[in-house]
Amino acid sequence: MNVIDWVDERIDLSEVRHFVAEKGVPVHAQKVWYYLGGMTLFLFGVQVFTGILLLLYYRPSATEAYESVQFIVTQVKFGWLIRNVHSWSANLLIGLAFAHFFSVFFLKSYRKPRELTWVSGILLLFLMLGFGFSGYLLPWNELSFFATKVGTGIAGAVPVIGHFSLRLLRGGDDVTGATLSRFYGLHVAILPAIATALVALHLLFVQRQGMSVPPGVEKKLKPGERLPQMPFFPNYILRDVLAWYVVIAVLAALAAFYPWELGTKADPFAVVPPGIRPEWYFLAMFHTLKLVPSHVLGIEGEHLGVVVFGIAALFLVLVPFLDRRASRGESSRLFTVLAAGGLIYLVTFTIIGHYAK
Amino acid sequence: MQPTNDFESDGRVPRKAVWQFVVALSVGLFALLGSRAAAAQEPGAAGNSCVSCHSMQLDQRLVNPTKLFGGQDVHREKGFECVDCHGGSPTSPDKASAHDASGRIAAMAFRGKPTGQAVIATCARCHSDAELMRSYAPKQRVDQATEYASSVHGKQLAVGDTKVATCASCHGAHGIRLVSDAKSPVFPTNVAGTCATCHADEKHMAGYKLADGSPLPTHQFNDYRKSVHYNALTKGNDLSAPTCNDCHGNHGAAPPNVGAVANVCGTCHAVFAQKFATSVHQPIFDKGCVECHTNHAVLKPSDQMLSAAAPGVCQPCHSGDDKTDKGAAAAAAMRGGMERLKDEIDRSDALLGGLKNAGIEVSDQQLALREAGSKLTLARTEMHGFDPAGVAPILADGMKIVAAVDRIGQTGRAELSFRRRGLFLSLGAILIFVVALGLKVRQIDRRDHERRAPSATV
Repeated sequence: MNVIDWVDERIDLSEVRHFVAEKGVPVHAQKVWYYLGGMTLFLFGVQVFTGILLLLYYRPSATEAYESVQFIVTQVKFGWLIRNVHSWSANLLIGLAFAHFFSVFFLKSYRKPRELTWVSGILLLFLMLGFGFSGYLLPWNELSFFATKVGTGIAGAVPVIGHFSLRLLRGGDDVTGATLSRFYGLHVAILPAIATALVALHLLFVQRQGMSVPPGVEKKLKPGERLPQMPFFPNYILRDVLAWYVVIAVLAALAAFYPWELGTKADPFAVVPPGIRPEWYFLAMFHTLKLVPSHVLGIEGEHLGVVVFGIAALFLVLVPFLDRRASRGESSRLFTVLAAGGLIYLVTFTIIGHYAK
Repeated sequence: MQPTNDFESDGRVPRKAVWQFVVALSVGLFALLGSRAAAAQEPGAAGNSCVSCHSMQLDQRLVNPTKLFGGQDVHREKGFECVDCHGGSPTSPDKASAHDASGRIAAMAFRGKPTGQAVIATCARCHSDAELMRSYAPKQRVDQATEYASSVHGKQLAVGDTKVATCASCHGAHGIRLVSDAKSPVFPTNVAGTCATCHADEKHMAGYKLADGSPLPTHQFNDYRKSVHYNALTKGNDLSAPTCNDCHGNHGAAPPNVGAVANVCGTCHAVFAQKFATSVHQPIFDKGCVECHTNHAVLKPSDQMLSAAAPGVCQPCHSGDDKTDKGAAAAAAMRGGMERLKDEIDRSDALLGGLKNAGIEVSDQQLALREAGSKLTLARTEMHGFDPAGVAPILADGMKIVAAVDRIGQTGRAELSFRRRGLFLSLGAILIFVVALGLKVRQIDRRDHERRAPSATV
């Protein structure tokens, strides 16, 4: 009697057995995009695992944070590897989350009945950006300190609640040890709790509804014809594991050859070093706000920029409800153009922002 | 038919002419008010015939003082007027009474443009008055005139040489700015240029001689511009770096006496001066520091200077070829030790740089290496006592620090190669696993395909 039989005898696993046996993944030319979600989920797991290990040594205070990270990378056995993997994995995770988001957007996988899957996914993308923003400050080095000053300053430009949100984020008027404590709490408790719930919800939706078939593939089917299915267990899951191993190899190579620099300890009284900029995933937004004139039609430029980004975020959440044509199964070129425009904007402004002085 | 003259046929003034008159009158009034307003904005113009009259002169030499004084001028800003230096009556309507030199009309007799000693006396009236200066600039010294009298400039002026600099030559006469104003001719970065207007001018300096009777050179400014001091002042924005007045004095400007040079340099380079004072060279070097470093063209010092062979500065007195020359041997020993420590620091720094780029945390070691650099600086300072026995222990301390850093650097290098080996092993294992998994996936796919194929034919 093996373990599964032993458990089966005690809690009936017939439903699970049935689910495993029946679950299939549609096979078509664009099925490669399905792997992005699994890879993103895998990296989320890597972040949780390496994050917990880092927690064992990290100390969240302005006087000890930098030194504790320095201790991790110099004294702790394989601490350098864990820290580098955590930093690289965070960036790969956000990159893959964006890729997953755009693939879903272009393939119109958000259309009925998958509106809630999309909403939970978009909220997860925002959460990942929140993880990146809060985690960036934790080593308490010069670059992260001043970038957080700029970043939280942008939050201060939100009309009406700007000053309140700035103080809420910073724990005062300036970036201090209080900000570090808040970001730490956000990074290791609040965001993970929300993210775990949302990931569970997102996966539940995906499992309940199955994989979405792109409209272009659906249209080519003859009446009554069904797409061939690949069993999820073990055919698809083994392919997923294969992709995860490739991600591990990339992570290990990046961690060993391009280690994440610790930089110099933050000094609030130091002169702002040149070239302060946020992490790459905020560069497009940062550079756009830099280009907005100080006043547009009598409105303060920064306020206007933040409001426009807020509206864009809300628009993204509401895409499945706004794209009525896609939900009726008709082609919706407008939303394809919007997705393409968004992708071109993000790539172009990230590159320009990277090279801008 | 239209009327051709200014009057209507009934003798009334035409409406158009009335409007023309009103417009002309308005323009005239505005022009008048405008000119009065402009005049009112001129410094001290209200009831000041000096400005109103001088600003209308054709000769620019007479106009310029009102322009400059009307611009940024510390005295005007404090409420002083032309009359406070030049005398005369600023309320008189005509030139004769305004320029009254008898003292009958004006409270202070008109004295025109002061020259020579009169410039010093004019400025000293206020600037040597401690009580008055307390009201305007309480921290400012009031002994400038006394100092000036002790200077070469003051002494020459006292014997009737009017070519020498007086207060106005350096500070300007009108449009005088505070010394702290970057546009002032006596702001630290401008001092050398201000002195050079006379001292770099061969014609102006013709006839002036040094104490030994040789002509006073005019290349000091060019020399100074090559110096480490000029670089620090103008390129390094270090306003504490010395310029002419820091060594020669400003109001009491004179060349430092022979023997006083070490004291002058020692004002900033105190430790060097202290070491030099105890050295064997102190009683021998007439010109102190200048013997090795020169005066105006003080170049960035290097270890190469410490040698009895070219380009060392010991060679005029010591010979590297003479094996019995203790001075040359001491120079060689000190220089050799310093160069060795410098080479070791550079080598160790390169090792740490490589490790840092590869992701090994070495900030503590870099800090330690900075300490070794401080030891090298200390040895270079100690060297001014010209005693190898004083320099050797400092160099030994520096070498010990570098050796300790090196040991950790080598451990870092081993760690780096361990990481790379580990990575390649991991990548190899992952590759094998990925290939095995790929084969397994293909096997499962083939099995599924075969299982489905017979049922499809049924």
